[in-house]
Amino acid sequence: MDIKRNYYEDIELFKSNTILVWSILFLLFLAVLPWLIVKYHLLGLSIYIVNLITVHAIVAVGLNILVGFTGQISMGHAGFFALGAFSTVILVLNWSMPLFIALPIAGFVSSAFGFILGLPALRLKGPYLAIATLGFGMTITTVIKHMEFFGGRMGLQAPKLELFGTLMKDVHFYYMIMIIAVVMVIGAVKLMKTRVGRAFIAIRDSDIAAEAMGVNLTYYKTLAFAVSAFYTGIAGGLYAFILGFINPESFHLIMSITFLAMVVVGGLGSIMGPICGAALMTFLDIKLQAIQDISLIGPALVAFSQKYMSLAGISNIAVIVYGLIMILIVLFEPLGIFGFWIRTKRYWKTWPF
Amino acid sequence: MFGQLIVSGLAVGACYALLALAMVIIYKTSEVLNFAQGEMAMISTFIAFTLLDTYHVPFPYAFAITFLFAILLAVFFEMVFLRQAKDPTVLGLIIITLGFEMMLMGFVGWKWGPDQRSLPFPVSNIETYNFSGMIISKINFWTIIVSLILMFILFLFFRYTKMGIAMRATQQNQLAARVMGIRTKRIFSFTWALSSMVGTVAGMLIAALGVLDPPMMMDPLLKGFASGVLGGMTSLPGAALGGALLGIIENLFGGYVSLSFKSVVAFAIIVLMLCIKPSGLLAKHYVKKV
Amino acid sequence: MVKKNLFGVGLLAFIFFISAPASAAVRGVTDTEILIGQWGPQTGPAAPWGAVARGTDLLVKMINDEGGIHGRKIKYYLRDDSYMPAKTKAIAKEFVEQIGVFAVVGGVGVATGMTARDYLMENKVPWCGPVTGVYEWITPIQKYLFAIYPLYDDEAFNLTGYLYEKLGYKKIAMFYQNDDYGKQGVMGVERYLLKHKIKLVEKVSAEVTDRDLSTHALKLKNSGAEAVIMWTMPTHAALILAETAKIGFKPQWATSNTLSDSALMMGITKGLWAGMINSFFGELPDSNHPLMVKYREAHKKYAPQERWGVFYYAGIIFAEPFFEGLRRAGRNLTPETWISAMETLKNWQGIGPPITYGPPKTPMDRQGGKHVFYGKVRPDGTIERLTDWIQITK
Repeated sequence: MDIKRNYYEDIELFKSNTILVWSILFLLFLAVLPWLIVKYHLLGLSIYIVNLITVHAIVAVGLNILVGFTGQISMGHAGFFALGAFSTVILVLNWSMPLFIALPIAGFVSSAFGFILGLPALRLKGPYLAIATLGFGMTITTVIKHMEFFGGRMGLQAPKLELFGTLMKDVHFYYMIMIIAVVMVIGAVKLMKTRVGRAFIAIRDSDIAAEAMGVNLTYYKTLAFAVSAFYTGIAGGLYAFILGFINPESFHLIMSITFLAMVVVGGLGSIMGPICGAALMTFLDIKLQAIQDISLIGPALVAFSQKYMSLAGISNIAVIVYGLIMILIVLFEPLGIFGFWIRTKRYWKTWPF
Repeated sequence: MFGQLIVSGLAVGACYALLALAMVIIYKTSEVLNFAQGEMAMISTFIAFTLLDTYHVPFPYAFAITFLFAILLAVFFEMVFLRQAKDPTVLGLIIITLGFEMMLMGFVGWKWGPDQRSLPFPVSNIETYNFSGMIISKINFWTIIVSLILMFILFLFFRYTKMGIAMRATQQNQLAARVMGIRTKRIFSFTWALSSMVGTVAGMLIAALGVLDPPMMMDPLLKGFASGVLGGMTSLPGAALGGALLGIIENLFGGYVSLSFKSVVAFAIIVLMLCIKPSGLLAKHYVKKV
Repeated sequence: MVKKNLFGVGLLAFIFFISAPASAAVRGVTDTEILIGQWGPQTGPAAPWGAVARGTDLLVKMINDEGGIHGRKIKYYLRDDSYMPAKTKAIAKEFVEQIGVFAVVGGVGVATGMTARDYLMENKVPWCGPVTGVYEWITPIQKYLFAIYPLYDDEAFNLTGYLYEKLGYKKIAMFYQNDDYGKQGVMGVERYLLKHKIKLVEKVSAEVTDRDLSTHALKLKNSGAEAVIMWTMPTHAALILAETAKIGFKPQWATSNTLSDSALMMGITKGLWAGMINSFFGELPDSNHPLMVKYREAHKKYAPQERWGVFYYAGIIFAEPFFEGLRRAGRNLTPETWISAMETLKNWQGIGPPITYGPPKTPMDRQGGKHVFYGKVRPDGTIERLTDWIQITK
């Protein structure tokens, strides 16, 4: 039933038992996913790719709090991602903190910078905000590059993590990351149902109207940046450990753009959308590069490239497809994958009418 | 050294200004932040390269064909992608231009491969003019002249021609403009074509200054954005002034303060500028009502 | 409470169960095939380096046409990582877990390769010839990793020595790119100068994305340097040469072997590259070395669309020793026999530097390439060889 009879029903985590059951089933699926991957090589996935997807999903959910729910644009989230990654590694490496303490601290470091970025954002809108955040992200990575404290340009090697005396493997990371991700996603869902979340949405719909209704713009806008940066920072910390080595060069503008693309492709203003977006975009990003090895299309593309294009640049088809997907989603399904889901749901609900 | 820094700054600033002009033309009319600007210029420059280097077409003809290509590309993008967006948000438009940027980047990599090349250009980037001790290369000098001329022409165009006035009207209120009999859709296509042409000039000059390769416009594009914001995204003279100022400030900072942080100066300036005067130096600030 | 603990134990048992390794035969070696892989940036800003991975493909085709090695054909997997570390690691995992390669050959980049290094080593995957000359490959010593690329640090050290002692330049400046690669160059140069108790007259760095180097050029000019060592990528090299030429600053330039593609450099610098003192890690493109002649013919036959540039045949240089190891290992191929075979290489030379390995006692036992030679670029783009192979690493 979609009808809500009182406020408490609206803020409940699970709107109905059906959703509860599906959520539990989904969690169970996540629990056995590594086993499925190892045994059946689902879609040619590896556990590492799933880990990467999960980390990106945390970023996407965090970015979506800012972009989808509060209506601000950020093209600088690679900066927060880098901050999270570098602070976590440094805390674990130099101050030998355990990861579960270092990670939240890194999250707060990142969110402090988010707060700082939120300040100029108070006065900026749309394109101007996009440029300001873009500059901010690039500045952060440049500063990291120039500070020996952060390993300078050489980058940092993340220490090996141990679990009960054995080195952690991808599967162990999987469960660690997945638990963190599930907690953070539930946190985001909950947050959107509280006073804070509603204030964010009010700001997105019209900040002047929100202010007139008593929403403190300064407080909530900076808070949105801080929360979003917190999510990204945590994800950055996890990213550093699944990669094992981080270098400031790799946190560039294209990364920020990819994050933004995940959110938009997934669906603005929803929680499941960005997760799907992160999964799809990460998967494509990694799998499309071997496009010439796909059985039927591959040889045709090779022949075409040889004749009209250059064989050396054949991998660029992946970039073209990636860009095209971004455009097509915005054009035909502005709510992204989530919008597609809603439409399908509606279609089945009213079927055969 | 001070004088030389200023002169070099102006020379670089002229390139930024050209790109900023191209962006401002679009932003002025349709409020789209065009992230594909750099790559549109880049692919046109590659076309020019193929004509000049492979087919040995004389420069003026090659230039004309490149212009034609730039126009077609822009109109194609506007009509096939941008116009199809229903009820687009600022973010949606940014994503469309970013997606197009990636497609162009991929296409150029596919067609021409990743190698760096040198664009045969009639003006040398090594021979110089000497103005009482200040050295400026021929190409830098002509870049400054070209950007001034272009700015002046564009200014006149927007001020006095029917088309220019229609473009400004479209920017101020699309609906009202349409009611007044302006074909706003055609105006948009025209805007994109105009901007693409200006961008192509910038792209060819930047390639001739250094190296022609697929990522060549990444940095200049960001600097172009910064210049636009500095001068005001809706003001043509503002864009030119912003470019020149940015070039000079960057060079002075690099010369006297720190070379390693030179590349972030632009962004520090943007953030500062946006905090002090969000509309930029020369543009009027107006707030959209609820 | 008990229930919770039980659940935890169950989960752990489950985790260990599914992470247990299970393989018996030699990974990537069958009766008829040996599977190898390489990543390289085919797209994105680092794409010019992608030619290395395609060059290896040429060598593989040649070997297969000659009947393979000990009756086994080579199956080569080339993957594009766009120079993004996250992708590189995904590729490494694909190589090991899904394709099951015997070894990884080459691979451009430090930031990218470092994400894969420990993973490959833990899984005992031989890795031969990462295409960067940094200490990370040999410190700490890795049993399965054989580095070839002459170390940037030692190369810079030696090049400075060549300028300072042989050519008598006392005022030396440095122009480098602000990343791991450039920094290794600075390290070497400063190490040498420190030995002679002098300093660089100027040290100018450029960000990888910078496209305006006028200030950098001005700084170099004002330093009054007689010689400038540059440690950059081709684009920056072209830009800085144009800018310095513009303001009339013409020192003796010298640079590392990453810029040894003179044909390319002559083109993009419009002839300013002439006079450059360059170090080389492989035979010159037009060399009469019998192997080079053979490779050039193969290039015409298998990959005429590729430019015969240094980056391209670098893919051969960094794979040759690997295949020599396969030949010496014989029909019974395992990572261990391959390693023992590699350790018998003593001054073995293909078209690259002479290669020597030994049982891993010191890091240098895993550093194959210890030599470079110097050349000077003639105005027509060809190279005048100044020295023979010089040992730069002790």
